[in-house]
Amino acid sequence: MSRAVPAALVLAILALLVLGPMLALFHLGDIPGYAASDLRFWENAYLRRVLFFSLWQASLSTLLAVVPAILVARAFAMQGQLPLRNLLLRLFALPLVVPAVVAVMSIVSVYGSSGWLPLGRSLYGINGILIAHVFFNLPLAVRLLLPQWQAIPQHHWQLSEQLGMNAWQRWRFIEWPMLREALPGVLLLVFMLCLTSFAVVLTLGGGPRSTTLEVAIYQSLRFDFDPARAALLALLQLGLCMLVALLTLKMQRLPEVEITLSTPARPSTSLHKWVDIGLIVAATLFVGMPLLSMLIDALGGPVVRVISDANLWRALASTLLIGLTAALLSVCAGWWLLRYSASLAYAGRRARARLIDLAGSIVYVVPPLVIGTGMFVLLSPRVDVFDWVYPIVIAINALMGLPFVIRCLGPAMRQNHARYHRLCLTLGLTGWNRFRFVEWPLLRRPLGLAIGLVAVLAMGDLGVIALFGSTQTSTLALMIYQQLGAYLVPQATVTALLLLLLCLGVFALLERLIGGKTVVAG
Amino acid sequence: MLSVLPRIGSGLIALLVVTSLQAATPTLVVYTYDSFTSDWGPGPRVKAAFEANCNCKLDLVGLSDGVAMLNRLKLEGAGSRADILLGIDTNITADARASGLFEAHGLTLQDSALPQSWQDDLFLPYDFGYFAFVYNRERVTNPPTSLRQLVEDDNGPTLLIQDPRTSTPGLGLLLWMKKVFGEDSDQAWERLSKRIVTVSKGWSEAYGLFLKGEADMVLSYTTSPAYHIIAEQDSRYAAAAFTEGHYQQIEVAGLVRGSQQKQLAREFLEFMISAEFQQIIPTTNWMYPVIAGKSLLPAEFDQLIDPAPALLLDERQVAAERKRWVDEWLEVMSR
Repeated sequence: MSRAVPAALVLAILALLVLGPMLALFHLGDIPGYAASDLRFWENAYLRRVLFFSLWQASLSTLLAVVPAILVARAFAMQGQLPLRNLLLRLFALPLVVPAVVAVMSIVSVYGSSGWLPLGRSLYGINGILIAHVFFNLPLAVRLLLPQWQAIPQHHWQLSEQLGMNAWQRWRFIEWPMLREALPGVLLLVFMLCLTSFAVVLTLGGGPRSTTLEVAIYQSLRFDFDPARAALLALLQLGLCMLVALLTLKMQRLPEVEITLSTPARPSTSLHKWVDIGLIVAATLFVGMPLLSMLIDALGGPVVRVISDANLWRALASTLLIGLTAALLSVCAGWWLLRYSASLAYAGRRARARLIDLAGSIVYVVPPLVIGTGMFVLLSPRVDVFDWVYPIVIAINALMGLPFVIRCLGPAMRQNHARYHRLCLTLGLTGWNRFRFVEWPLLRRPLGLAIGLVAVLAMGDLGVIALFGSTQTSTLALMIYQQLGAYLVPQATVTALLLLLLCLGVFALLERLIGGKTVVAG
Repeated sequence: MLSVLPRIGSGLIALLVVTSLQAATPTLVVYTYDSFTSDWGPGPRVKAAFEANCNCKLDLVGLSDGVAMLNRLKLEGAGSRADILLGIDTNITADARASGLFEAHGLTLQDSALPQSWQDDLFLPYDFGYFAFVYNRERVTNPPTSLRQLVEDDNGPTLLIQDPRTSTPGLGLLLWMKKVFGEDSDQAWERLSKRIVTVSKGWSEAYGLFLKGEADMVLSYTTSPAYHIIAEQDSRYAAAAFTEGHYQQIEVAGLVRGSQQKQLAREFLEFMISAEFQQIIPTTNWMYPVIAGKSLLPAEFDQLIDPAPALLLDERQVAAERKRWVDEWLEVMSR
């Protein structure tokens, strides 16, 4: 029961942070000059088209990002001794933090009409959207799926050798069952990320034909200033994701958990080895080229002028503060949720366990703009919002990071609980001792990944800080946008590179400190 | 974990109380857009110049843009801390007027540089500019000379524009097309759309893509080339002068009705239309000052095109028709 209390607390906070602001938006009647609009949006042809396009591009992007990611993650898992492997895997955490507008520029540097691999005008449209979404999400999916191979018990591989299984049979009977635990969650996460994509879709999409639901929400809240409609559209988006979540969870199977050692790197034939290396090289090129083009642009820019600006270092400090605090909060909340859902799953109440994971996963699709505005409506009559900018920004970023925590930690915590719960009971290990001797050593690797991902995600976030306003340039992401808005494209590229280097450093440090030395090694 | 949030909040409050105790001087709060407050915007110099004489503290609060500012003020209502809103343009002044949140500034614009006379008791302009298509002379040697020619020449230049739902220049082009083509603007958009490479969320994306060479022309301002000439000593960029004239953007400020320091606020507005403030504008906001005087403009501005005649729709008409026009535009552009 002691596990249920913190979990319930987290769920209550989630509900409060997500539903509270939405309700507040519905009840905004007395704003001067605000007339509530007709909410029968389903009769609107424009919105139907937007809905269709959002779903279509998100589904296609998800498939194109996750299916290759399975192959690439498998290649990484099989080739544990590859030189530069750890560096490449860290690089794979980076696209997530590239601010959307910088990513668009980098992708155009590679595929634009004067780029390295020019696609000309055909870049603008579904091609550009897919390239950008695969760039963002393929590396993320690789990082999230890779641990599944590392959890495969050693004797499964030995057995497969004794039975003379071929690669297909090994995949079918050993790897696929393991993958089925994590894959639905990863699909859902990537789907949500693509569904809520905004600047990328609008800019690379070629025009308003490529309008997503997220754009419609933004339009309602900003341009038309119709908060009730925005809240309704946000609910619609939430509902859609719920449906997709239920569909993906249908294919989820939790594998049996055994107490065993696991050593994933398998001796393989040289043909397999070369195929794996080919896959890794291809994925690295795809992810690396836009990053490389950015690096080249930035190094040709006014590096000294940018880094000698005192405001840059202030912005860097608050970026770090926001990133680290949000990551810590997010991981704590995720830990409590998962601890409870793991014990539920262990007790055979899998439906309820999944529901809890789902609640934590789905918050991502409520646009920060909606949460932020709603929070503003709730808070501004009571407190001076200016004093609350940092807590609010941190809270919203922690909230947005929760789905990543659930994905990174979920499978590992469930397995850990299933393997060692009875042992812990026998030994009377509880509380801190259980954490120290059983959970920490075995979970620090996924914990390091989770904390690193949420930190870099929050560090790259722009949305909320711009919404609440600031008297000075407060984060690096905001600084990049301001520079771009003032013709300072070269400066913005340098700032973006600094943000990326900072993220890379923080990610590597967190993974090393928390994850331990063998972080991503086979 | 829950207890951490209020602690940070109260920490910040405590910090603020301490700092406000130290400073007994009044603080004037101005909501503006964040490119105004950024280090390379007018903000820092405006703040320094005003604080030098006002015996007060000027807080420039940067929000994302004019629309965000106005929405924020509406949400805060009477409880707002803002004394002045600086940075909304004439496309949303009707909306701002209807909110009832502003009060007469009581000032007159002397020596106006605006092409039209300015009579508005609620809003006072501080700068203005004109939308234009900017191109690279080395790439486009024979730019169109009218909006009509741009639309009707099917072999004309490729374009990058912004979305009127999310961007000020994007809305500006929509109104420009309306002004020139009237009821035929749908057909004009349909014809133009074939040469539009992409429609971006904001000005930055489109301009960035243009600098990368993704299209022949980008929707921007007649003053954009001045940035390249002055800051980069690069005179390759030019704005195409159109015979119909160019659609105008006038940026204004207003005095918030709920302000506790109206005297100080009026002093700021007066400062805003003085030469000291106005001479900061051309090379930080890259717009024209609202008061006349050759000395306010750098010499390089002489190389810019003459945008006359200035085109501007009445704010009431924009407020009444904007939504319908945007829906029409969406319909045409989604075909």
